[in-house]
Amino acid sequence: MKTRFLFSQQYKSVGWFLLIVGILLGIILMLNDFEYPTIEMPVYPLIGEHDVFSKPPLEWSKNNIIDEIAAILIIIGGIFVSFSKTKDEDEYISKIRMESLIWATYVNYIVLFIAILFVFDLTFFNVMICNMFTILLFFIARFQFMLYKFKKSVTDEE
Amino acid sequence: MKNNIKVERAIQNITQAKLAEMIGVSRQTVNAMELNKYVPSTVLALKISRIFKKNVNEIFFLEKGD
Repeated sequence: MKTRFLFSQQYKSVGWFLLIVGILLGIILMLNDFEYPTIEMPVYPLIGEHDVFSKPPLEWSKNNIIDEIAAILIIIGGIFVSFSKTKDEDEYISKIRMESLIWATYVNYIVLFIAILFVFDLTFFNVMICNMFTILLFFIARFQFMLYKFKKSVTDEE
Repeated sequence: MKNNIKVERAIQNITQAKLAEMIGVSRQTVNAMELNKYVPSTVLALKISRIFKKNVNEIFFLEKGD
């Protein structure tokens, strides 16, 4: 089937690998307050504040880049897993895909909505960090579950 | 929308799997159409009508409320 905006099927397993490595790295970082593991690298912020807590914009400074790596792995991995074609992509699977995406968007923002009302300060910041990725994770969970149900749906052929 | 794919399939003695392969979808999709859980695209409906050598509106019917 002709599809728009989808990667070919090979990207799916690459995606799973990147996503899992990224999530593990992210969890380790969160448990260590983003201080360990550490790889210091020069970075060049495009925007920033001029105060003691921040890196000033448009000049080189040092930064632990492990959190950036983890985030990029999760995003690229998540996109590949989400938007690679399945082995037998057809129009019904495309429909499942689109409905799962709508569902994931609702759930993601319902969770954020609840967090906005009931979570504050630094804890809310942590929720925001997770919320950057949850729309992809909710989508993957929902889509995989619906695909599983779909694959199991054929039982009554005579 | 309803259809009689299952009946036509029986007349022509084609399995779900075989029909699925002929029209380029998964077998589950054929199954979902037969159970009226999925309304196929026009392209798919035309492919099915070509296999059964019948007009589309002899295979697919509108229901009340469509």
